[in-house]
Amino acid sequence: MKGPRSEGTAKVIKNERQGYWFVLPCFILLVAVLGFPMVMAVLNSFTPIWTKGLSGFTLAYYQRLFHDDVFWNSITRTIYFVGATVGLHLLLGLAVALALNTAIRGRRFFRVMAILPWTVPDVIAGLVWAWMFDPLSGILNDVLLRLGLIASPVEWLANPALVMPSVILADAWRGYPFVMLVLLAGLQAIPKDLYEAAKVDGASAIQEFFHVTLPNLKGMIAIATILDIIWQARRFGLIWVMTEGGPARQTEILSVLAYRQYFKFFNFEYASAMSVALALVLLIIGLPYVRTVARKV
Amino acid sequence: MKRRTIAVLLALVTLFGVGSLGGGKVRLVFSNWHLVEPHWEKSLKEAIAQFMVENPDIEVVLDYVSYAEKETKYMTAIEAGVGPDVMHLGPAEVSFGLFASRGYFYDLTPFIAAEGPGFLDAWYPATVEALTYKGRIYGLGANYQAMVLMYNKRLFVEAGLDPDKPPTTWDEFLAYAKKLTRDRDGDGRIDTWGFGTVGRVDPGFQLRFTPVLFSHGGDYLTPDYKCSVLNSAAGKEAFRFFVELFTVHGVIPPGVTDMSPGKVREQFAAEKVAMILTSAWGPPIIKSIRPDVAWDQILGMAPVPVKAGTDPKIRTTAFLSYYAINRNTKHAAEAWRLLKFVTSKAMQEKWFRDANVLSARRDVSEEYGPLLADPYAKLIGAELARAKLVPLIPEWPQIIEAVNVAVQKGFIGEDLSKAWAEAYRRINDVLAVYRAKGEACPPY
Repeated sequence: MKGPRSEGTAKVIKNERQGYWFVLPCFILLVAVLGFPMVMAVLNSFTPIWTKGLSGFTLAYYQRLFHDDVFWNSITRTIYFVGATVGLHLLLGLAVALALNTAIRGRRFFRVMAILPWTVPDVIAGLVWAWMFDPLSGILNDVLLRLGLIASPVEWLANPALVMPSVILADAWRGYPFVMLVLLAGLQAIPKDLYEAAKVDGASAIQEFFHVTLPNLKGMIAIATILDIIWQARRFGLIWVMTEGGPARQTEILSVLAYRQYFKFFNFEYASAMSVALALVLLIIGLPYVRTVARKV
Repeated sequence: MKRRTIAVLLALVTLFGVGSLGGGKVRLVFSNWHLVEPHWEKSLKEAIAQFMVENPDIEVVLDYVSYAEKETKYMTAIEAGVGPDVMHLGPAEVSFGLFASRGYFYDLTPFIAAEGPGFLDAWYPATVEALTYKGRIYGLGANYQAMVLMYNKRLFVEAGLDPDKPPTTWDEFLAYAKKLTRDRDGDGRIDTWGFGTVGRVDPGFQLRFTPVLFSHGGDYLTPDYKCSVLNSAAGKEAFRFFVELFTVHGVIPPGVTDMSPGKVREQFAAEKVAMILTSAWGPPIIKSIRPDVAWDQILGMAPVPVKAGTDPKIRTTAFLSYYAINRNTKHAAEAWRLLKFVTSKAMQEKWFRDANVLSARRDVSEEYGPLLADPYAKLIGAELARAKLVPLIPEWPQIIEAVNVAVQKGFIGEDLSKAWAEAYRRINDVLAVYRAKGEACPPY
């Protein structure tokens, strides 16, 4: 005989099943927009599926990666770019988040201003910074020349020693707000009594930062870092409009190389192998984040 | 109320149904990057309107596409089974080999055969040959013009050079470029340079480097495409000369590895550089950048210089654009009528009048009165006899990228021999598809 308790459980189960129906359209969209291209890219990296169908699997495209010095150059460029930009995003993001977490006048205004770079599409940001870096007509050289800090125009995007730092600077400006927002949320979640207790114990501001703020922010820093690494490794638009991976492959990160192989050289299978290789690395990096989210769910 | 609602719905359905019938017209999509340029847009719209009057059974829809991304857009669309019916592509070496080898184009050979013998006689043979893949014709040439030297006569005069005596050898060119590299405004800094060129990895790089290579007697590949010939003495000399214009002689402005064709033209219009390599499209663009300047009195054009003491049969290259039909078209016969129209003598003459471009049709570039009366156009047309197209093979984009990167490496100060040797090696790796197993290329 059904009692009140089993009726309640049945209702919960029914509500859960209804929930799946609400999620279904989004799931179908994700499969179509993300899942299908992902599966096709993986298949394409083993066989020329677009032109010859499933005509036989081969590891030839992956084998080619190992012997291709241009591919390995793009790996080192990617590590350089991702390491530097994620580091700068963290530093800038934390600094601005700490500043915005204080009770200053006009805090809301400054918060809006701090987010603005993130609202600029990376292609537009790239174009703007490319103009600023122009050796003859860019504002940067103009100001530096007028101040007497340089004697002749600096080739920001043509000098091999300066081009990657220039691209990194442009991306640091555009990308830090996301990290700032994540860390700001984390800062605001730190209980105030921890700081009061530290004050009572006679801790200085620096000691508070290292012994209260940072330990409590560890989780958010980890999440922001993992997500930023994944996004930065896939950065394309800003680099393409600024340098197209030049000069002489100095800024040719893997996403730029894969794009060129696919859309300029029509080496679909080889480009797919590159993309799958990158995706595997990012999946390994992203596993801790996925596990954390799955645990919460 | 219910009856009224049903009646309204039925009326709407009927309206949409009738609308979709299209009155029996065939709908063609015509894609052309020139549509985004105002003077071209007007001219093309006039032409298409005329076509539709002459062909009342066809409706043509214009498709705007950017010059830089048109190949990407077409490739994606064609692979998806869609795309415009008729496309304008160029420069030909960027797309033709890749697209033809992947079967993206409709075979025009039966249509051409149906036109009767001699149909193709109007076109330059080099363009017909270039747009043939494995014995089948997949495109008809549209714009075809040689690369030449354009220079600023005013800057020549200021530097003490005779504006009516442009350089004819590379030694003269270098001497002129050095004199033209000077401080014009007296602030102690150089603000005008002798030569501007493309150094970015860009389709326009080939059109600026190839004339230097060819006029030195060099070339890219063997005639059978099995190996690169960049390791020839002429090839090495041309590479060194081109790079040292920047690294040793300082006659090219800073930032050369970031220079695209558009940026170089802006430098020329701003009188930051005195000489550039360009073709018929150059003067109208320069005039549009600075319409306040009396460019007709300032611009000069001359053949590309050659190595001193030589008179090579081939001293420059040419830009070739073409029209092709998408393999996915559902109306091939109608698409052929449109393609024939836009490449007809009348329309090619119109493109010269409206946009100053020369034609792949000999009966236009060698016979059209107004073209021959224009001194620039006449020179560019005459230089076609001294021009050679680069190989329109599927591997070409990878080949020129290797050369482009080698030049960039030279510009940024890396070892020239090493950079050129690496380009030679990479190109030979790409060309392995043309060699039998075990067949090797000569060492660098």
